[in-house]
Amino acid sequence: MSVAKCFFVVVLLSAGQVLAEAPEPDAKQLLTKMNQAMATLNYQGTVAFLKNDKLEPMKYSHAAANGKQQERLLSLNSPLREIVRDADKVSCLFKETRQSIVDHRPFEHSFLVDVPGNLDDLDGIYQFEVIGSEDVALLPSYVVAIVPKDKARYSRKIWIEKQQFLPLKVVLYDNSGVPLEQLVFTEIAVKEALPIVDVSLSDTGLPVQHIHQSSPQSSAQATFKVTDLPKGFHEVFFIRKPMHNAEQPVDHLLLSDGFATVSIYMENQVAAVQSGLQSVGAVNSYSRTLNNYELTVMGEVPAETIKLIAEGVKLRD
Amino acid sequence: MPEELKQKISQFLDDELDQAQTLGLLKKIQSEPELQEQFKRYEAVSHALKTEVFLLAKTDFSTRIRQQIQQEPTYLLPQRKIVSRGHIQLAVAASIAVVALLVGRDMMVTKKPAVPSPNLQLAQQQATKPVASAEVKQLPLNKRINDYLQAHNNSVYTNGEANFQPYARVTAYSQK
Repeated sequence: MSVAKCFFVVVLLSAGQVLAEAPEPDAKQLLTKMNQAMATLNYQGTVAFLKNDKLEPMKYSHAAANGKQQERLLSLNSPLREIVRDADKVSCLFKETRQSIVDHRPFEHSFLVDVPGNLDDLDGIYQFEVIGSEDVALLPSYVVAIVPKDKARYSRKIWIEKQQFLPLKVVLYDNSGVPLEQLVFTEIAVKEALPIVDVSLSDTGLPVQHIHQSSPQSSAQATFKVTDLPKGFHEVFFIRKPMHNAEQPVDHLLLSDGFATVSIYMENQVAAVQSGLQSVGAVNSYSRTLNNYELTVMGEVPAETIKLIAEGVKLRD
Repeated sequence: MPEELKQKISQFLDDELDQAQTLGLLKKIQSEPELQEQFKRYEAVSHALKTEVFLLAKTDFSTRIRQQIQQEPTYLLPQRKIVSRGHIQLAVAASIAVVALLVGRDMMVTKKPAVPSPNLQLAQQQATKPVASAEVKQLPLNKRINDYLQAHNNSVYTNGEANFQPYARVTAYSQK
């Protein structure tokens, strides 16, 4: 066989191998792989959060070993603070004010992005699609769009790195396509191992706001009931506990559609309430009075969704 | 380049030329850069065909090459490198594989546009009654709203709002 013929054989064989290669993963597969990677890999880097038109760069690290996970954030700019998440506990130390708090948040799993485990359950309200490839922090990434099928919630895009499947960028968009908030890694590295530190804020010698743990209660105990919910929203937990001061219990019902969360708060009215819609970054809130109660609904959903939910809240008989 | 010379290079690489023809060919190659390039290409192809590595190439060969290329760091500044003869041969062999890869991919893959599909856009256009933007007040956080935000989600920790601090509270919850 001549060399020229052999050359064409090489080309054809290689092309055949390309034709036989595995298809690209779909959006749900990528998000599932991302969840797995986020939970099992050790990685660290610098991440920038952009919220409320304010840029917050932070050092980030995630350690996983023996079934345990730990997330750490260290702010690079004032107010200087270090935040550590161990399972359901978030510990935060503010270095300038010497304030430290401990916060129990079992319904959240990451400072980066929380993606539900079973995405098939969300088919009725969200569409998942890989819409392209882009580089983030010099790393090739899939761009996954999570687009709602109605206007009751916002869309998201997640840039997932192609080798390790870690999220490199997450953007939340309003219904006009304008970014409301985002986070993006400027550099990230996967490590063989990272230490899981034992956080004990009492060792710092600083006053710690101690937690008085409460158990979730049945929402049947709530002062209110919700009569009109957008499709896909379900109850995550209900709790009645003091929030502003010890004498003032607040009813708190947390709802979620898998990605977006909405909180409903109700408490006795003690002062004139500023009724109406407000917004703080991506979070919209709506307040109104209901007899002698003060109702506030808030969440990272469009204002009309907040208003719809708030207007559907009734006092129990 | 005469076809006869190409044929001679091929024969030389297959060890089919006698000594006189070999010497004549080598002299020509020495004096003509075009022949040198042709020789290098044929040599690389011949090497690729004769090595065991090629014959036993794994099925994910092209995938691995593509992944390696994607993983190459991006350099915005020009990089100066000393290129050896061995590297040139490797580069030629790699180029052949890349050409095959690209040809194959173009045959196989239809590029997806980096925009949402019409279906997605349609879904976004399904309008519900909008709330007038003037209705939404952009107000500074007050204590009550700040407490609610704190209990609502953990974004307060990644938010540089200075007025978060004085109102920091502990939310308490445990799951059975």
